[in-house]
Amino acid sequence: MSPPSQLPFSRRRALKYASSGFGYLAFAALAHEQARAAGTSRIDPLAPKTPHFSARAKRVIFLSMRGAPSHVDTFDYKPQLTKDNGKAGQLGSTRGDMLMGSPWDFKQHGESGLWISSLFPGVAKHADDLCLLRSMQTDQPNHPQATLQMNTGSFQFVRPSLGAWSLYGLGTENSDLPGFITLNPRGSAQNYGSSFLPAIYQGSKLDSGAGRRGPNAGGGGAPKIPNIKNRDMNGEQQRVWLDYVQSLNQNDLSRRVHQPGIEGVIESFEMAFKMQDSLPEQIDLTGESQATLDLYGVGNATTDTFAKQCLLARRLSESGVRFIEVNHSSSWDHHQNLKNDMEKNCSEIDQPIAALLTDLKQRNLLDDTLVIWAGEFGRTPHSQGSDGRDHNNKGFTTWMAGGGVKGGFSYGSTDEHGYEAVENKMHIHDWHATILHLLGINHEKLTYNYAGRDFRLTDVHGYVAKDILA
Amino acid sequence: MRFTFLFISSISLSLSLSDAKGEELTDAQIDFFETKIRPVLADACYECHSNEGGRVKGGLALDTRDAMMLGGDSGGVVTPGDPDDSLLWIAMSYTDADYEMPPKKRLAPEVVADFRKWIEMGAPDPRVTEKQIIKSEIDIEKGREFWSFQPPVKTPPTETENTTWATSEIDRYVLSSLEENSLTPAPNATPETLIRRLSYDLTGLPPTPDEQGIFLAQWKADPARALEEHIDRLLASERFGERWGRHWLDVVRYAESTGKETNMTYPHAWRYRDYVIDSFNADKPYDYFLTQQIAGDLLPAKTDEEWQENLIATAYLALGSKGLNQDNSRQFQMDVVDEQIDTVSQSVLGLTVSCARCHDHKFDPIPMLDYYSMAGIFLSSETFFGTVTNAQNKRPSELLLLPIPDPVGKKLSREEVSSLENRLTSMRNEMIEYRSARDSMNGNAAGDAAKKALRTRSQMAILQARLSGLEEDGRQKTFAMGMQTLDAPVEAAVLVRGEIDKPAQTVNRGFLQVVQHDGAEPIPADSDGRRELAEWLTSEENTLTARVMANRIWLQLFGEGIVRTPDNFGTAGQLPTHPELLDYLALRFIENGWSVKSLIREIVLTRTYRMSSEFDSTAYSQDPENTLLWRASPRRLDAEAIRDSMLAASGTIDLQRPHGSYIAEMGDVRVGIRINEESINEPSSYRSVYLPVVRDLVPDSLGLFDFAEPDVVRGSRESTNVPSQALYLMNNDFVADQAKAMGSKLFNEFDSLEERIAAAFQHTFSRLPTHDETRSAAAFMQAFSSSGETGETDPILALSMFCQGLISSSEFRYLY
Repeated sequence: MSPPSQLPFSRRRALKYASSGFGYLAFAALAHEQARAAGTSRIDPLAPKTPHFSARAKRVIFLSMRGAPSHVDTFDYKPQLTKDNGKAGQLGSTRGDMLMGSPWDFKQHGESGLWISSLFPGVAKHADDLCLLRSMQTDQPNHPQATLQMNTGSFQFVRPSLGAWSLYGLGTENSDLPGFITLNPRGSAQNYGSSFLPAIYQGSKLDSGAGRRGPNAGGGGAPKIPNIKNRDMNGEQQRVWLDYVQSLNQNDLSRRVHQPGIEGVIESFEMAFKMQDSLPEQIDLTGESQATLDLYGVGNATTDTFAKQCLLARRLSESGVRFIEVNHSSSWDHHQNLKNDMEKNCSEIDQPIAALLTDLKQRNLLDDTLVIWAGEFGRTPHSQGSDGRDHNNKGFTTWMAGGGVKGGFSYGSTDEHGYEAVENKMHIHDWHATILHLLGINHEKLTYNYAGRDFRLTDVHGYVAKDILA
Repeated sequence: MRFTFLFISSISLSLSLSDAKGEELTDAQIDFFETKIRPVLADACYECHSNEGGRVKGGLALDTRDAMMLGGDSGGVVTPGDPDDSLLWIAMSYTDADYEMPPKKRLAPEVVADFRKWIEMGAPDPRVTEKQIIKSEIDIEKGREFWSFQPPVKTPPTETENTTWATSEIDRYVLSSLEENSLTPAPNATPETLIRRLSYDLTGLPPTPDEQGIFLAQWKADPARALEEHIDRLLASERFGERWGRHWLDVVRYAESTGKETNMTYPHAWRYRDYVIDSFNADKPYDYFLTQQIAGDLLPAKTDEEWQENLIATAYLALGSKGLNQDNSRQFQMDVVDEQIDTVSQSVLGLTVSCARCHDHKFDPIPMLDYYSMAGIFLSSETFFGTVTNAQNKRPSELLLLPIPDPVGKKLSREEVSSLENRLTSMRNEMIEYRSARDSMNGNAAGDAAKKALRTRSQMAILQARLSGLEEDGRQKTFAMGMQTLDAPVEAAVLVRGEIDKPAQTVNRGFLQVVQHDGAEPIPADSDGRRELAEWLTSEENTLTARVMANRIWLQLFGEGIVRTPDNFGTAGQLPTHPELLDYLALRFIENGWSVKSLIREIVLTRTYRMSSEFDSTAYSQDPENTLLWRASPRRLDAEAIRDSMLAASGTIDLQRPHGSYIAEMGDVRVGIRINEESINEPSSYRSVYLPVVRDLVPDSLGLFDFAEPDVVRGSRESTNVPSQALYLMNNDFVADQAKAMGSKLFNEFDSLEERIAAAFQHTFSRLPTHDETRSAAAFMQAFSSSGETGETDPILALSMFCQGLISSSEFRYLY
């Protein structure tokens, strides 16, 4: 696969030769011609590309849990931890680290018999579709760095995000929508940025109408996209107007020779223009049956926010969006109030996630949609205070479902208490390599030349966990 | 909410931490405790107040001596030797109706008498858990070897081959590193580009066509003089403070609400905003500027004006986001202190000291003990931030009453005041009804009444706050957020893993050892330490303060700092690209009396600053991020500049400073009801620095264009170009209205289309159009008009759409 980066829209390319001399008139004529010739000779950075090898997963839904959920209370069953409850932890009793068995019961589920705690009754029903990755590791025990590493591979430098790399590698199946959409992100835009990749690959933020503005807004309301309709211009006029804006941008670009920022402006306008038509339809949940809304938990105060996000994710994946990141709005940083807050958080997402899996399955989408659930790290088996757990980057759990992973499967393990991955360790780099592999991309071959060097998502690391491939 | 006139209620943390060091207990004392005290505690108290039992109501645990001496939400509970000052005994004796413990089972009089006697004995308590002593394994001396902990030194730049390019010392540093890498600097920018760059960088606004005309004419005669005079005009303009003040507001996470779950407004925060703007305009020496913000309340003031300013400055420490629904007061207090340490250390020193709250810093030579030395300083003061109480706000505080009333501001008539008072009275009566209904009825009715009672209580709190904010004659009292020192300073206990119920040894108030300099005096026992902190931070021997600020200034003028992580000068940050240059700037900054304007002036007069952004493919392939400064990096305007430029182009900009802010008008409320997405986006003609800054609810005009989310210190902003921005420029009513105003203005001001087009280019791109551009613009307007449904031509509409096109284009939002 050759990097498409140097080849922008042909509309702009044509103008590179024409802009300085002909200006808007030439631009309009070319644009017109271009529109007629669309599909024949168009070189579009978002056009679908053939992967390195045939792949099961065509798209990704990444359920991101900000704040690092506890693995030993959810998907990493540790009977020895329960037995050793109250004993000194790894760091010794002088530091006050007493082991704390999970306050929740674990049971085996499905034919596969995966151990899942009582916090996820709905998700547990899909045990036979889940692939638990119980030996995750990341470099940093701090939230911003670890979140950045989970999203970009690097905790230190500005690098393109996983979604941007995926889009760069595969293009998108629906050029009327951004190929990478992130729902209600918080924190640094680097987490969904494109860094040195062209701006068209960065994630587009979308407010799903979830309660991001606090508990008093969004609940029950429709998702909102600000500024999606024009007050003064009809469609035809707006196209004329946009052509003029793009001719100005094109002129500007030709004067600067190379300016990724201007290319970003040009691309953002083209996409915005298309989104005016495509997006309202996408986010309009009124066409969904009551049964579907109920399945996800839309309208229920506890689940409403995440339910809308998950339902939207399904709709977007159905429409061919390549990478969708769903950001859970509550924090999982349970240094204290673990018992209450874990129950609260899990009850917000359990039903919506279960519904997402059910829904994707009944639409035959689960096979080629990779669903990922992950936080930036895990938590300590010992308690912090009487009712909390501290950060743990040495061992934690994420899971995948659909998209070519083995269902009802558990990969890797931590030590008897859950401190550290001991078997089949899976570093974030390995995780990234595996995700790209599932998308049909060889992580060592997906490169982008920048500053005289070929960059990769996995830098010089990454092993594909072949054992989890279906 | 109650207000005090600089009244401080002392928190009994000091005595509970320092007096707990028992002497040797006698056998009789131990015996008394074991037979008379411990059984009662275990039997009557532990159920609700023990760490072991898992319930710590009111933040109070009684099952260890440390915990008991630490007290709970209401402060200390045992004052050894003084039962009448000991909440434990007061509660047991049922002498105060607010504190009756145990709540349902009053203790026998002889038991209560035992407790009195025990407290009089000095509360001897053998339940000593072995005191933990936290030690650090960090080698401070070795840590000091890192570049940023070494004093800056002036190293002359190495000789360069090119001897004609450099016109200043700064240029020589830049040129020598370019030459080392076989690169050459870009040619000079054109005067048109330069005046645009200067105007935005110094004032955040484009040059007016008049300013441009004067500058270009002067440039022809004497470029050097034209440049100097123009720079001095810009530096003297009040717009300068609005621009550079805003940069500082990013750094100090300025906002007008608490954020987090409860998100209550800070209606008095704007005074700090104005203070910052005025300080930059006055070119207040940076060392004094910092001193005011950290210890303004402790500085001598000759006049009320000065006193007022000093008080307002300390809002710097009070503006942070706060989790008001925190049940535990001590946890809340430590979280506030943590936020203060984080802000001070990152904004001034470029260090992430708060990483050392739970353990030694993982990257930098900052022991956990240093964190608690600094914590002692902030624990010795009280933070005044306001907010009104409600079901979700368990931690309101008071405010500082300012000595000078506002010159403007509403005055309520006697009738208005009494109508407010009447409403309060009737609410109080309703409240009584709801409460009795709640207690006497069952089921839904009781639930309803309980809800109403809760709502009425919140409304009453708001009304009470309004009333207590009025002078006798109905004028508004003036308040500020800020700091006041406690009567008795405290030393902080190091908290094991940062947990409030696990105190280890206490440490003296102090600073970071690694940045400590020789001859620094320890903090006196009777000082809270903020003044000493300010002195230490602004000492010329502090290796970081001047470097960090010089780097912030450089960053705003070049798009990137010499250290590209402006808030992290530690080992996890990036190394300086031009270390000698950074040291030179830091030392110049100090030499020139910490004058921000002087440093800016020196930098913008260099040839380095005046380079063009011309692309060079050889240089680009070698250094695509322009770390070596082979050209001026093209920069996208920030959110404020984009919005202000629209207002400037349309001619509707209001350059007056508004009194207060939208949030001040709304008063003490919770964000989300009256202050909502719609209201926050109400159009305004004021400069963007005066728009409301509510945490988690930033106006779209700012938020869509990478405004610095005000949760933490942010010395640099991101710069994205995304579809949501394009949608905003294409469809937002505010943008369309600016374009219409601009179109109408041009239509009325000029007679010919050519003139209108020319003026529009000047107002948006600060240059005249080329012949082709004029033709294109005219062609567009014609095409646009004929594409209308009726085919009718409305020249103003077409002109407006043309203006909106310019506003939306890349050239409008980029500085080259």
